[in-house]
Amino acid sequence: MFVSLNLLLQNIANGLLIGCVYALVAMGLALQFGVMNVINFAHGEFVMLAMYITFFLSFSLGIPGELTLLFTFPIYFVFGYVVYKLVIDKVIDAPAVSQIGITIGLLILLQNLALAAWKAEPKAVQSTFLTGKINLGSVVVPVSRLVTAVVSVVVLFLLNWVLNKTYFGVSVRATSDDMRAAALMGVNVRRMYAVVFGLGCSIIAIAAAFIMTFQQVNPLAGLTWGLLSWVIVAMGGLGGVTGVLASGLILGVAEGLEITFWDPRASTAIIYLIFILVLWFKPKGLFGRR
Amino acid sequence: MLLEVKNIDVYYGMVQVLWGISFNVEKGELVTIVGSNGAGKTRTLLTIAGMKKPRSGRIIFNGKEINGLQPHQVAKKGISLVPEGRRLFPNLTVKENLLMGAYIKKAREKRDETLKEVFELFPRLEERKNQVARTLSGGEAQMLAIARGLMSRPLLLMLDEPSLGLAPKLVSEVFRSIEKLKKVGTTILLVEQNVAKGLEIADRGYVLENGRIVLQGEGKELLVNEKVRKAYLAI
Repeated sequence: MFVSLNLLLQNIANGLLIGCVYALVAMGLALQFGVMNVINFAHGEFVMLAMYITFFLSFSLGIPGELTLLFTFPIYFVFGYVVYKLVIDKVIDAPAVSQIGITIGLLILLQNLALAAWKAEPKAVQSTFLTGKINLGSVVVPVSRLVTAVVSVVVLFLLNWVLNKTYFGVSVRATSDDMRAAALMGVNVRRMYAVVFGLGCSIIAIAAAFIMTFQQVNPLAGLTWGLLSWVIVAMGGLGGVTGVLASGLILGVAEGLEITFWDPRASTAIIYLIFILVLWFKPKGLFGRR
Repeated sequence: MLLEVKNIDVYYGMVQVLWGISFNVEKGELVTIVGSNGAGKTRTLLTIAGMKKPRSGRIIFNGKEINGLQPHQVAKKGISLVPEGRRLFPNLTVKENLLMGAYIKKAREKRDETLKEVFELFPRLEERKNQVARTLSGGEAQMLAIARGLMSRPLLLMLDEPSLGLAPKLVSEVFRSIEKLKKVGTTILLVEQNVAKGLEIADRGYVLENGRIVLQGEGKELLVNEKVRKAYLAI
């Protein structure tokens, strides 16, 4: 089989760019899972819903998709905080099976709400500042994807800085290490969990606002995002931001290679395959746990 | 009276583990609760710290009833528990562990000052301040646990088995630092399996057996008590 070098380079570039967004979306989950050990199967649907809200606000306010972030960032913090209080908090000490059950319920609920509200046809934002393309030799990079990747990396490292250099970050990591000991220090653990859950959702909102500058959304879009995120969390372990970013890039490039050498329609299969291989050979993740 | 525990009954599920426990701690005192493994010493401290709710009885701290409060609320009242097994934050540095000790608002304002004092008390911790806590030796880890407990500038410091799992030389070192803390005016409630050491340094002591207080008195007095000597000191 003959594959042109151009196509290969183009697909690797696409993979690297999209991999950064994968990492950002997964970081929301990694943060929540790392701190409160909750298994959230509805994570992908949170992404899907955020994409719809981006579409909705962009459409009804007539503003570019990426600017809706001004609204979706706080909205999604509150959304996460409330979802934690109403749903997650009830199963926070429950066995994994209960958490999986209740969040799958949430997944189905959100999917069907989206279906009822926006029907099955895909929606896309009408306007964005991020238009045009940049030519790097033979590789063509859409501005929207490039900016999205840059924003993702910046947000990831900003989060890393917050977690490592601020007192809030120290208390988040302490709670993640030993929630009972943290409570003895005076940390209101349940409130901390709600805040972290809200923060994880705000990160999703950032990702969604930029994803919508080059992708459409449909009610089933959450499934792939959820899968991707769990694969990245499994790969990146709880190795922090760098582990998550590296895992996102690996998945993005793997997808790019798959598209180059095989069938683009099978790209989700490659994610599953990597997931299985990781669980098989490196159940603790590629980058170990902290 | 700084702490008054009045007649508390505590259950774990259906099983009663503490039976009508009453004791008190005055400001500036070092009080110890001794007893064998499983007597209910740790459970008593966990109940005061808000980790367990008493089914009946009252806990009064600094003039206010604190039973039924959540652990983080008890911490705010000025009670600091250095838990059994130390429960450090293993992936945080020594300094970050100490800063977490000063989480409550009142302590946060004086954080840097307290940190200096604590480093004076435990100079080794200052040398290791950027080291991750899980890499500390047993003795250092215990020092850090006590130091972290002090960072909140507590009105009452509760120490749960600080000598557990330490080599004899380190045990003496830990007890020396507890005496040092007492000298500077810290009120301490110490729970110990090491009955002799505990009673030696305490002003007053309570002996716990099967969830009940069976003896109480001055530390020196209990040390020479016939029952105590037979049951705990193997003399």
